[in-house]
Amino acid sequence: MFVKDGTYAKHLFDTEASIKMVDKEPIDVSSSGSQTTNPLSRKLNKILESRLDNDKDMLEALKALSTFFSENSLRTRRNLRSDIERRSLAINEDFIEAFQSVKEQLDSVYDDVKSMNECCQDMTNRLKVAKEQTHDLINQTTKLQNESQALQMKAQVADVFLEKFQLKPDEVKSLRGTRDGTLHEKFFQSLERVKQIHNDCKVLLRTNQQTAGISIFMQSVVFSLEIMESMALHQESAYERLYRWTQNECRTLTADAPDVSFVLCQAIEALQDRPVLFRYSLDEFGTARRTAVVRGLIDALTRGGPGGTPRPIELHSHDPLRYVGDMLAWLHQATASEKEHLQSLLKRCSANDEQIQDVLGHITEGVCRPFKVRVEQVLVSEQDAVTLYKLHNLLMFYHNTIGQIVCKEAALLATIREIQNLSHRMFFNSLNCNATKLLDKVELPPGDLGPTESLNKTLQLLRDVLACQEASVVAFDDKKQDFKQILSCVVDPLLQMCSVSASRLNSTDMAAYMINCIYLMQTTLSLYEFTDTRLEMLQAQMDAHIDTLVSEQASFVLNRANLAQVYGTIQQHQPKQGALSSIQGMDSQTVKTAMTKFDSYLASPDTLILPQCSLILSGRVRDSVKKNSVELICEAYKHMFEAINKPANEYKDPQSIVPRTPDQVVKLLS
Amino acid sequence: MAAGPYNYSYIFKYIIIGDMGVGKSCLLHQFTEKKFMADCPHTIGVEFGTRIIEVSGQKIKLQIWDTAGQERFRAVTRSYYRGAAGALMVYDITRRSTYNHLSSWLTDARNLTNPNTVIFLIGNKSDLEAQRDVTYEEAKQFADENECSAKTGDNVEDAFLDTAKKIYQNIQDGSLDLNAAESGVQHKPATPRNPLNTDQTPSKEGCAC
Ligand SMILES: Nc1nc2c(ncn2[C@@H]2O[C@H](COP(=O)(O)OP(=O)(O)OP(=O)(O)O)[C@@H](O)[C@H]2O)c(=O)[nH]1
Ligand SMILES: [Mg+2]
Repeated sequence: MFVKDGTYAKHLFDTEASIKMVDKEPIDVSSSGSQTTNPLSRKLNKILESRLDNDKDMLEALKALSTFFSENSLRTRRNLRSDIERRSLAINEDFIEAFQSVKEQLDSVYDDVKSMNECCQDMTNRLKVAKEQTHDLINQTTKLQNESQALQMKAQVADVFLEKFQLKPDEVKSLRGTRDGTLHEKFFQSLERVKQIHNDCKVLLRTNQQTAGISIFMQSVVFSLEIMESMALHQESAYERLYRWTQNECRTLTADAPDVSFVLCQAIEALQDRPVLFRYSLDEFGTARRTAVVRGLIDALTRGGPGGTPRPIELHSHDPLRYVGDMLAWLHQATASEKEHLQSLLKRCSANDEQIQDVLGHITEGVCRPFKVRVEQVLVSEQDAVTLYKLHNLLMFYHNTIGQIVCKEAALLATIREIQNLSHRMFFNSLNCNATKLLDKVELPPGDLGPTESLNKTLQLLRDVLACQEASVVAFDDKKQDFKQILSCVVDPLLQMCSVSASRLNSTDMAAYMINCIYLMQTTLSLYEFTDTRLEMLQAQMDAHIDTLVSEQASFVLNRANLAQVYGTIQQHQPKQGALSSIQGMDSQTVKTAMTKFDSYLASPDTLILPQCSLILSGRVRDSVKKNSVELICEAYKHMFEAINKPANEYKDPQSIVPRTPDQVVKLLS
Repeated sequence: MAAGPYNYSYIFKYIIIGDMGVGKSCLLHQFTEKKFMADCPHTIGVEFGTRIIEVSGQKIKLQIWDTAGQERFRAVTRSYYRGAAGALMVYDITRRSTYNHLSSWLTDARNLTNPNTVIFLIGNKSDLEAQRDVTYEEAKQFADENECSAKTGDNVEDAFLDTAKKIYQNIQDGSLDLNAAESGVQHKPATPRNPLNTDQTPSKEGCAC
């Protein structure tokens, strides 16, 4: 404001001057260039060029002027300058006055500030002193703070550690169990935790060894060992409890279909970590199931189904095959079911097959005795070889079938094997018995030299036995082995019996009879496998008898033609005895008569067949006897023919004695 | 997972009977494995398979005994009828003889099972329409039957399920007595028992007195 005042005043003068000029005369600005040198005209120009309405200062000045210049008169105009100066003076005086107070105030402010500064200085000094004094304290505090932070950290770590390495109260509680003894999901979780902690401690021990300094190491070893110990205690009591529970639970599983609950499966799974307890629990389960299976079998044997259908198995004890078969089928089904139950119990475990088999063996062991006693009774009282053999095959079949479910060592299989052995023995006993009976009272051969009744019966038995072997499903080797034994048990005594029975017959009858008997045996056997060697052996025997019969037949013919004597003499004749015709009974006439008889045989050979040959059952054998005997006769004729035609034998006209050549004879007889 | 496939409340025992080669083993295989066994050997004696099904919201385990059709096994297979809750009697629609033998199979089934055993007739090999030897109508007159194909799997599921439904119905209306031994049905109580409460024995299960 002070500064402005100056310019303000100057403008006032300028304005005044311009107004004066305006008053005097209007000036033509653009009139002439010569006027530019004239200061007045320059001034004028300047004034004229200034634009009043844009000059704020000028406007302000004029406005201020108008406040006191109210009357435009000469006098006032004359006084204007002094008026303005007066006013300016007054204003400046006002200004000084005003500034005076400002100055005074500033001075007081200055004083204030100065005293303030002093104050501050004082304070600073005091603070400095104080700071010097508290320095230690602060250091101490900082140290403490750091320590506190470290401790907090440790506390956190400790919390996490506890969280990880200690059981929560509710976990401890769940491990201790509920009053009613039930097991809950929480129990298994807690048990799992305990195990986890125990394991973690082990890991801790191991890693500490590698990383930590010796003191920390010692400390954490102590820690870990302590925790492990407490976890071990928890574990022991929990497993103990779990085992008791499992044991009790298993004991109740004696129903037909055991209710293997989910919790039980879990319990068994958890017990795997304690092999002994696991084993005991499985044993307990096995024992319960064993009881159930025994009871089931006894029920099926004695009670049957609802209202008696299906009928109790024992009701069929008069029918050995059905009785034993039903029992075995029941056992087969029970074994399969028990294996399923066991698998469902162990579904969460990594139990191996061996363990399953072990328990299954235990479960099925109980029924062995009641089963065995019954089957043994059947076997011992059964006489019929065929039934015994069928039973034997049935047992074999089931040994195989049940053997697909349980292992070889299982008691049930062993029992079946035992019974099977017994049935085998009983079967062969029965066959042998039969054989002994055959030889005990040998029948005489019937008049037709056909088979005796006991031969027929025994062959029928053989057929029946072999038939049920055909029908059974047993391994090829077993079959073959049995076959051999059966054959020697039946065929050998049969042959023996036939020989004994034939012993009182003449050789022709015997040969024919034996041929018939052997023939029947052959036809029976030839229907079956594995009989080749037997058949060969029989054939050899047969051939011997056929030979006998053939020579009997040939000599029969020769005898009938009275040629036997002639032929015998020719065969034994030695040249030193002289001419054949000179020997007694070999004269032309006698030989000729015989040859005539022989000739009539040649005319109808069938008239001279031994009756025994006709009794031979087999046409093939009959034919071969005939053929072979004819060959023999032809041979004999040829011999005689040659002898008679021999000049040394001195037959006159041998042609008339033996008119037919051997070839002719062969032709006639074939 | 927790419930698992083992949580079933009943076990039903089935037998499958019928002449050899009608496809009994194939039906069982199709039902349990959902596959067709093209060259299936003759069954020796008996074989068995299981599967869990659901009827009216109840899980039921089927224990199915597949018998041999060959005559020489009759004596053996007859022993398996006892204690069956369901009997599936199968013939081959392309072989009339297998149909003609049904009456003998039915006689066996009636004589050897219990009175409540559900007997279900199945005409198998329905895929071989061109070789059909027994008409559906004819078989329908003999018994309420179901034609299916073990090859394509058509209707196989239904045959087994319908039988189970019928058995379940018999249980519901009380005509099948679960307490009796060898009813072919075993019941497992669904609600967990309190293991240490020995004073209450579940009434459903064998009082063997
Ligand atoms: N096209 C066709 N073939 C089938 C069907 N079912 C079975 N087969 C065939 O029929 C044959 C006999 O089937 P199996 O299941 O062995 O018969 P099975 O009744 O068990 O015979 P056994 O065990 O001897 O009593 C096999 O070659 C199968 O491939 C079917 O639905 N359609
Ligand atoms: Mg089969």
